[in-house]
Formats: sequence, structure tokens, C-alpha cells
Amino acid sequence: MAKRLKAAERKASILAVAKVLFADKGYHGVSVDEIAKRLGVSPAILYQHFPSKEALYEEVLSENSAKRESYIEAILTEPTDFVSVLKRMTSIYVESVSSDPDFLRMELMSALEGSHTATSFFERRWRSITDYIEYSLNELRAENQLTRINSRIAGLMYQGMLREVLYTKYITEDVRYKDMPLETMIDELVKMFVMAIDK
Amino acid sequence: MSEITQELDARGLNCPLPILRAKKSIAGLTTGEVLRITATDPGSVKDFEAFCKQTGHALVSSTEDNGAFVFDIQKS
Repeated sequence: MAKRLKAAERKASILAVAKVLFADKGYHGVSVDEIAKRLGVSPAILYQHFPSKEALYEEVLSENSAKRESYIEAILTEPTDFVSVLKRMTSIYVESVSSDPDFLRMELMSALEGSHTATSFFERRWRSITDYIEYSLNELRAENQLTRINSRIAGLMYQGMLREVLYTKYITEDVRYKDMPLETMIDELVKMFVMAIDK
Repeated sequence: MSEITQELDARGLNCPLPILRAKKSIAGLTTGEVLRITATDPGSVKDFEAFCKQTGHALVSSTEDNGAFVFDIQKS
């Protein structure tokens, strides 16, 4: 018999196990029974804490959102030119993904499954970076410091490159990049991005 | 209650854009003048608290009105 836990501890352990399973198999690939089995408790115990699988899934996501990256430092720290701020924002984002790559798997799974809650959650997370790029490039273009590029597509391009690096490091674990530190890959990526948008 | 010098509509913008725009707006004010920011991103409540703590500007008020968050910030 599973040892008795306090309600808060029990809830935390359910969330931790559910996160790993959702990351591995997606929302549809995991049943409440399976999560309960993994925890060594009856499904009834799970339902005492979460009314449904969906509620549990949402709570796993919101746990992550509570730790949402703060970009205040990135914005306020000198120097405040576009590239410096972008680098700092990218570091903050990459750090949060590195500290919990399960969310990267959940993101990928949710994109395939079309779960609205999850996709809008991850989209919002990316938008901090893509909106910053779009807004700043529009400003720079107005000051005639840029070539005629589509700022929104530039944001998408950056998101695509950054996400691919993170997938390579944390999901596919491609051996060709095994010895290349993540920071080096990000630095290269930023460099190429700047070359692409520069006048 | 301080008089509002300037207003900034940051509705629909995601973190950190409301902060970035507020920073630029405040730069154009003189000490004691107040900027009112309206935002819809729920994260902006914490963000503006942190912003004022770091920059030294005074968060005169932080309220929620019909799903929008309204911040009055006085330039230090």
C-alpha cells in the first residue's frame, strides 16, 4: 500500500508523474488509470485532487506558467540595443527549457494532437520573443536601419531556428551536435539571424 | 490622486512589450509626471511591480478593470 502523504505532497507527486507521462505520450496517450498506477494509488485518489484528466493537464501547464520567464531584466539591463536584448531574452528562454525539457516534449506532442489549451499556452510563451522581434524590427525599419524585411516572418524564422536547436539538444539528441555546447549553437544562430536582417 | 500626464495602450501586447513601451514613454516625461498604462497580459501585474522596483519609479496604483490591468507610474 502506498504510504500516506499530506494533500499538498500528494498533489505535487501527481503533477510530477503526470508531467513525465504527458511529455512521453501526449495528452491522449495517457489515461488517469495509468497515472494512478504509476503512483501506486487508486484513480479515486487522483480524482480527489483533480476533477478530470483535462484539469490535471491544465494544472501541469500552469505550474510551468507560474514560473514564467521574466524578461524585465533583459529589457532594463544595458546595453539596450536590439541584438543585446534579444540575446538576453533568448538566454532566459533557453535556461527555462533546459531546466525542464519535459515541457518541450509536451509542446511537440500538443502541436500534433491539436490540444487548444496547450497550443495556446506554448504559443503565448513564444510570442514574448517573436513579438519583441517584430516590434523592434518595425521600429528599426522606420529609422531606416534595416533592409525591407517582413518583421513578423523574421520572428517566425528566429523561433524556428531556436526551437530546432532545442529539439536537437533535448529531444533527438543528435550525435553530430553532441560536443557543441548549447551556448555556442545559440551564439551562432543569433549571429546568422543578425546577418540575415542587417542592411 | 496624481494627474495623468500620458496614457499608453498596451492591450493585446505580450510580456515584455508593455514594459519596453512604458520604459520609452517614461523617458519622455519629467520627474513627478504620471504615465497610465493599460494592459491585458495577466503577467503584467508582476512585471510592472518588478519594473518599478528596478527603475525606482513609483507604482502609484495597480488596478484591474473589466479584464484590463491599469497601472499609474510616477516618474522618479
